[in-house]
Amino acid sequence: MRILLIEDDATTAAYVAKGLREEGHVVDHAANGRDGLFLALGEPFDVIVTDRMLPGPDGLSIIRALRLANITTPILVLTALGEVEKRVEGLEAGADDYLAKPFAFAELRARIRALARRPAGPSAEQSVLTMGELRMDLLGRVVTRGARKIELLPTEWRLLEYLMRHPGQVITRTMLLEKVWDFSFDPTTNVVDVHVSRLRRKLDLPGEAPMLRTVRGAGYALGVP
Amino acid sequence: MLVLSLLGSGWGWLRAEAALRQQLDLVIAGEAEGFLRDYEEFGLRGLAATVDAYARRRGPLLVVLLAPDGRAVAGRFPGGQGGAQPGLRGFAVMPAIAERPALRVLGARLAGGATLMVAADLTPVDRAASALAWTPPIAGGAAAVVALLLGFAAAARMERRLAAASDAAREVIGGDLTRRLPLSGRNDEFDRLTETFNALLGRIEALMVAQRQVTDDIAHDLRSPLSRLRQALEGALARPREAADDNEMLERALAELDAVLASFAALLRIARAESGVLQQGFVPVDLSALVADCAEIMGPVAEESGRALHPDIAPGLSLPGDAALLRQAVVNLLDNAVLHGGRHIMLRLLPGPVIEVEDDGPGVPVDQRAAVMRRFGRLDRSRATPGTGLGLALVAAAAQAHGGKLSLEDGAGLLVRLRLG
Repeated sequence: MRILLIEDDATTAAYVAKGLREEGHVVDHAANGRDGLFLALGEPFDVIVTDRMLPGPDGLSIIRALRLANITTPILVLTALGEVEKRVEGLEAGADDYLAKPFAFAELRARIRALARRPAGPSAEQSVLTMGELRMDLLGRVVTRGARKIELLPTEWRLLEYLMRHPGQVITRTMLLEKVWDFSFDPTTNVVDVHVSRLRRKLDLPGEAPMLRTVRGAGYALGVP
Repeated sequence: MLVLSLLGSGWGWLRAEAALRQQLDLVIAGEAEGFLRDYEEFGLRGLAATVDAYARRRGPLLVVLLAPDGRAVAGRFPGGQGGAQPGLRGFAVMPAIAERPALRVLGARLAGGATLMVAADLTPVDRAASALAWTPPIAGGAAAVVALLLGFAAAARMERRLAAASDAAREVIGGDLTRRLPLSGRNDEFDRLTETFNALLGRIEALMVAQRQVTDDIAHDLRSPLSRLRQALEGALARPREAADDNEMLERALAELDAVLASFAALLRIARAESGVLQQGFVPVDLSALVADCAEIMGPVAEESGRALHPDIAPGLSLPGDAALLRQAVVNLLDNAVLHGGRHIMLRLLPGPVIEVEDDGPGVPVDQRAAVMRRFGRLDRSRATPGTGLGLALVAAAAQAHGGKLSLEDGAGLLVRLRLG
């Protein structure tokens, strides 16, 4: 993938760029808003990662300008710690995702993948999602694995739908909290693990090839076994 | 005497008009500064776009960007730019022409000979000033004498009150944030202004206290985990070791650091809730749905830990609020009940609205209830349980932000009552 990184802090930029390059991505780096906007307007990228606070036009101005110019490249905004309400502001400006600094690189990687693969994944209007023998009928509210019908509680339903919309991708705990339950904080209890393991017990019966994997130190991934 | 009175009123009128114009100039200059910032940032074309957008939105002021030849590049004045001088610098008055009232205008020269003009309609100022001008001469001579004497007295009194206000304000600036401006008790306009001003000082004081509190908390309670982390790293560095030890040590260090960061984020969030800035973003929140949602998510968590959550949620309750903060408050309360409570957890939403979480655990001794609602306040017996010690402090801040109150009471075990509004 070709990724544009707009970040004025040299240490953060070097850390992120190095990590992404090691993953095999091509990274263009701009150290201020002006250069970032110039690059983003002129060249095609698969994903743009921008800091929120920048010299020159800030992250949000860049996003607004790009969206005005009909550039729909997925944008991930990085921001300082603890500014939850800024998240909403960023999403309203046209950003696709939001990540607070400092972050684990695995978190950034997972989010970039989720953004980049979005166009290839199932569209929002699609009413039936399938993955191997797993089938989710959103209108009929029925989930089946092969011939077996699976009964889900509403929270498990939301969880499965999100995972099926991101086939094979590693989804972190934080992503599930934010995107499935709208939690902008990390509860002390193990909410995510409880719901994932409950879903897994219904999805993968003993003897069936497991579809819902735990990725150590990163999160979970749902895929064809 | 009459002459004196007229002179006096004329002087007052001049003062009033000057004050009004000064206000207007400040507003104009403020807007112009904004446009010039855009110009610096995005250049002339960026400025033209902003000016056009502003003109389309019909902001309170008029704005036009003129080319060196006087042509309008962006924005316009109603009835045209007639009389607008390209190259105007500073403030000027443009007389009224057909379709256009008299304007107070501020011009700024830009590179390349373009001119930015920001203007305001002078009609309201003129109208206010003439209303002031024609009142006194109608009154008779005797009235004028009385008026004049009263006027002098009022002026002297006003001067004293202004001086007192000014002294108090200076003390606040000097660092005494508890100082307030004195009230005369007359309940006049000046008192009302003073009250508003005092309310403002109150907000500033609250913000400063909240900020100081956070700083103190960070200094006291984040220092120990950071010291532990430092010692661990230093010790590891000093010891001869294998790669496997390194991994384990680094993972522990990361976990410790993550805990510090989590505390830090929670502290910032509490400070934000306490500062009162969230109220500006309040929207109607369907509290019944929000609490039901939390119950649905936390129910299985309670079950996995061998407990049962019993929700009892009154339908149709809503309030203006911050949904994210309220959601976190409810989840924090349920988290606490799951971690410290007994086998049964009651979650109630009652009209008020009031949210109650009652467990049948050991409860919190009366003399320690205030302490556990403070930042990093934990019971000794819970020190080993996971958590930052910030959960209830956040709920208390959420209650305060929504004009409510958090209280801990006796129930089957502990009864936590979150009153909102």
